[in-house]
Amino acid sequence: MKDLLLANPDYVTLLLHGLGVTARLFAVSWILAMLLASLLTAIRSAGGRVGRSVVAIFVEYHRNVPGLVQIFVWYFGVPQLLPTSVQRWINHHNGEFFLSCIALTLYAAAYMSEDLRSGLRSLPRGQAEAARSLGMSYGQTLRHILLPQAVRASLPPLVNQTLALFKATSLAMTVGVADMMHATRQIENETYRTFEAFFIVSVAYVLMSWLIMGVGAYAGRRFSTARN
Amino acid sequence: MLEFVHIQKSYGAMPVLSDISERVEAGEVVVVCGPSGSGKSTLIRTVNRLESIDSGQIIVNGQDVHAAGQDINGLRAGIGFVFQQFNLFPHCSALENVMMAPMSVYGVTRAEAREQALELLARVGLEHKSPCFPAELSGGQQQRVAIARTLAMKPPLILFDEPTSALDPEMVGEVLSVMKDLARQGMTMVCVTHEMGFAREVADKVWFLDAGRVLERATPEAFFTTPQHPRAQKFLSDTQR
Amino acid sequence: MLEILNNYGLILLIGEYPHGPLGGLAMTLILAASALLLSFPLAILVGIARTAPLIAVARLAALYANTIRGLPLLLLVFWAYFAVPMLFGKSINATVVMLGALIVYESAYLGEIVRAGIVSLPRGQQEAARTLGMGYWTTLRKVILPQALYNMIPSMMNQFVVVVKNTSLAYVIGVDELTNAAYQVNSQLLTKPFEVYALLAMTYFVVCFLLSRSVEAVERRITRNRRSRPS
Repeated sequence: MKDLLLANPDYVTLLLHGLGVTARLFAVSWILAMLLASLLTAIRSAGGRVGRSVVAIFVEYHRNVPGLVQIFVWYFGVPQLLPTSVQRWINHHNGEFFLSCIALTLYAAAYMSEDLRSGLRSLPRGQAEAARSLGMSYGQTLRHILLPQAVRASLPPLVNQTLALFKATSLAMTVGVADMMHATRQIENETYRTFEAFFIVSVAYVLMSWLIMGVGAYAGRRFSTARN
Repeated sequence: MLEFVHIQKSYGAMPVLSDISERVEAGEVVVVCGPSGSGKSTLIRTVNRLESIDSGQIIVNGQDVHAAGQDINGLRAGIGFVFQQFNLFPHCSALENVMMAPMSVYGVTRAEAREQALELLARVGLEHKSPCFPAELSGGQQQRVAIARTLAMKPPLILFDEPTSALDPEMVGEVLSVMKDLARQGMTMVCVTHEMGFAREVADKVWFLDAGRVLERATPEAFFTTPQHPRAQKFLSDTQR
Repeated sequence: MLEILNNYGLILLIGEYPHGPLGGLAMTLILAASALLLSFPLAILVGIARTAPLIAVARLAALYANTIRGLPLLLLVFWAYFAVPMLFGKSINATVVMLGALIVYESAYLGEIVRAGIVSLPRGQQEAARTLGMGYWTTLRKVILPQALYNMIPSMMNQFVVVVKNTSLAYVIGVDELTNAAYQVNSQLLTKPFEVYALLAMTYFVVCFLLSRSVEAVERRITRNRRSRPS
């Protein structure tokens, strides 16, 4: 029994630390992505032609370029454009986490804004008409009436996107972020206990994925809107 | 209070409203009726700019609704509108539906809005349903909440776009009852409706619309007993079953 | 950036060929197409299993699909690269490993698409076939699958775009595809990482964008001819 990987406190600490990094990366990216996605959707539905084109290009780029490549562009490419002082600051302050987070946020936001957009389009026109008839401005209508309903309407694809984002955090290990995957590879390198290490992290990912799917299903049942 | 001045509107080559000029005085109740496709819904939807007009003016309380640069949100707050499909906000309770606009538009505090909303819901007979969501209410109840929601903005004028057409027959009465109360309390109302009983009881004027024109305007008495225009006569005989 | 394209364009496109194995964008597309084609039969099996009337089979298939979908592709790639060869006792070519990982991954996702296609057909189809006396498998083969698969062609083509993007993970195990080619170019140039990776992103963008647009055109055609539109 003491032969088991999990019995070794050092490795357990390493794994838990990795889990913490994964969780943090996921949480920060997800929150920022949802906010950004709402903003993008609002611009796309209410903004002028320039705003709409910019958002469209943003979305198309992030949907057609692989997540791994997007992380590379941010981690390897973008620092080259920044002044050296900023580069040094980034390197000192966990640059890889920071830049991966940006890449993942933009990546997820693009998909989420598309989901919100189709959710918005599925709402009956009468909702906006009723709100405007009461004297609410378009901005207020979006914020209080349309977007809340759009989120509920787009819950299934949004949950899928959340799951995809969670799994995409593993890509950050390729640029050195010390997440769960990175920790596992480290352990596997040291101990050569490939099956055990991968099995543990697989169970972790699957359980957390199922948790996300479960939360999504629960939210779907609770917030399902009934139409008149 | 409300004035239509030479309103003209077409969809492409097809005229929907042709040279409509009418007045509604404060406190008057006007019923607009006519065959389907006559433009009645379009007409009242132009009043709060849910529809545009090609030419002419719509004056509400001295303000030209369709003038460029007009504060449309401010204007709309002062014009009540009740939809055929109710259009309650499904993600909010009945109480929240009534509270929402005064808070967002007039900046009323939550406590005040709540108190006012409960009063209004009581006025339409639904105080006990205030925490319910639209999905839990019958059609008639939803429409009454919609009326309360409109009243929350304290408009001097309310427009009704076929408010009972989407209701099962046994629920029409409860909504009409609320509307009659409003009429008796002196509210200025323009109602597009097929409910002739309502017109006879509380309306001051009836406008008969056909193919985008007001063909006849009369008191309910005169209109229902001795319609002048041949098409009005046909309409009434078709609809009396 | 044009300079880089000029000097290294060929490497990005086809790798070291003919002086070495085929690589670059060509390898990316070959990998993606092979993965999709080879996982197709497996996906059909998964889809059928998930809609099987035998609950045990349906549950097992669901467990399979949900487990695969709960794992990041990167982890699957690592499983295939590190763990599986240990089973066989010998090292396996990285490209084959990547193909294997993609096939397993796609069997779950494509399987989900097949399942959705089967489930979206109006129930009357199956009822009609069974009433005529056709057995379960015959019904599947002659009535359900042909319609389901036709309706799901746009979704399957979309998956192809997804697989193209997923091949970028082959970089991690050293397969010579587009992302790896860019990495190697960058290692040579060293001073222009932004240009190199921006070029990489643009290449994927152009390929996937064009593919998506053709998918939309096909989708329009199919929705017009859609079989068994529910009345």
